[in-house]
Amino acid sequence: MTDAELVARTRAGEPDAFGTLVAQYYDACWRFAYHMLGERTDAEDVVQDTFLRAYLAIGRYDERDQFRGWLFRILTNQCRNAQTSRGRRTRRFVQDDLAIAAAPAPPPGLGTSVEDVVLVKALAQLDPLQREALLLKYAEGLEYAEMSAMTGAGESALKMRVKRGSERLRALLRQSPDALDGRA
Amino acid sequence: MTDSRELPFPTFAPDDDREIAQRLARSYRALPVASERQVATCLAAVLDGGRRVPAPRRLARWWWGAAAAAVLMVVVARPWRPGAPLRPADRVVVRAGAVGAPVGSTTEATSGSVRFELTLPQGATEVAIVGDFNGWDERATPMARTPTNGEWSAQVPLPPGRHVYAFVIDGVQWLVDPLAPQVPDAGYGPANAVIVDPR
Repeated sequence: MTDAELVARTRAGEPDAFGTLVAQYYDACWRFAYHMLGERTDAEDVVQDTFLRAYLAIGRYDERDQFRGWLFRILTNQCRNAQTSRGRRTRRFVQDDLAIAAAPAPPPGLGTSVEDVVLVKALAQLDPLQREALLLKYAEGLEYAEMSAMTGAGESALKMRVKRGSERLRALLRQSPDALDGRA
Repeated sequence: MTDSRELPFPTFAPDDDREIAQRLARSYRALPVASERQVATCLAAVLDGGRRVPAPRRLARWWWGAAAAAVLMVVVARPWRPGAPLRPADRVVVRAGAVGAPVGSTTEATSGSVRFELTLPQGATEVAIVGDFNGWDERATPMARTPTNGEWSAQVPLPPGRHVYAFVIDGVQWLVDPLAPQVPDAGYGPANAVIVDPR
């Protein structure tokens, strides 16, 4: 079944159809959000918010757009919002020993990291707009016109972000891992 | 090892930075696939969230009907008259003040920190407090169960000013204290507010 058919069935009140869309695109959204935010739990939250907003706004989806592009437009906005709120959240607040002891353990399976940790740390040090442009261009394989429609930025600005982001990322990757952690 | 997952990696143009693109591709491929639990949790939250949010267009469609009902209530029912029955919202507050409903409280524990307490007669496995002070993160501020059954607490350092918060029961049910001041829904659902006095 095509995305358009699944959207139509969702609009007709069939939540299972939206479930199929979630199953189909969760992984793609999760990879992008993780590389944007560098935190698994933050990425999970952002992806969940993205699908919720997509579900609530499904009536406004224009069938002439690709569903993936429309979804990623919401996702990029949610990543930006998450970065803003995380900037305000400078530390965890609990000082109560009992509360810390009662905190739930991380879900199983999340500790088995095999991704390029150095790359993720280096990405985290880029300007967020450069990071977003790099991922959309090189990891999601979008054309500059598609990126422009998605982000609202002009194509020349996006090309500049990709170019400067690549240069900065190369410089960061030449540093030692300790330097990326801010320990050097 | 080959990865059969379909990834949207591009063909390269002459100006592209192939080395960076290929390293991103490798990192994408190496990231573990989202678990079934992740996807199922996400879908459940989406469908639950979809049920809780009213459709705004219906409000517009029923505006005239709502206005007519309001006029009817003011003219005919006169809820302020002596002996008028309680509205459903009143009953919630009254019940919360008596027994059976969750009741929360906030007290200034030390200068610059606030102690949040919640009594849950129905019991819970875990309770957290979320608010503008922790980015509405359900994992950031778990509450501790006090020795008395059904009571939960957390002490949170808060700078002076107004803070908006809610409780999350067992990671799924958001709860506001019906006896505390409530603020308009700003996208996260109903929430309470607390003022920290800048003394």
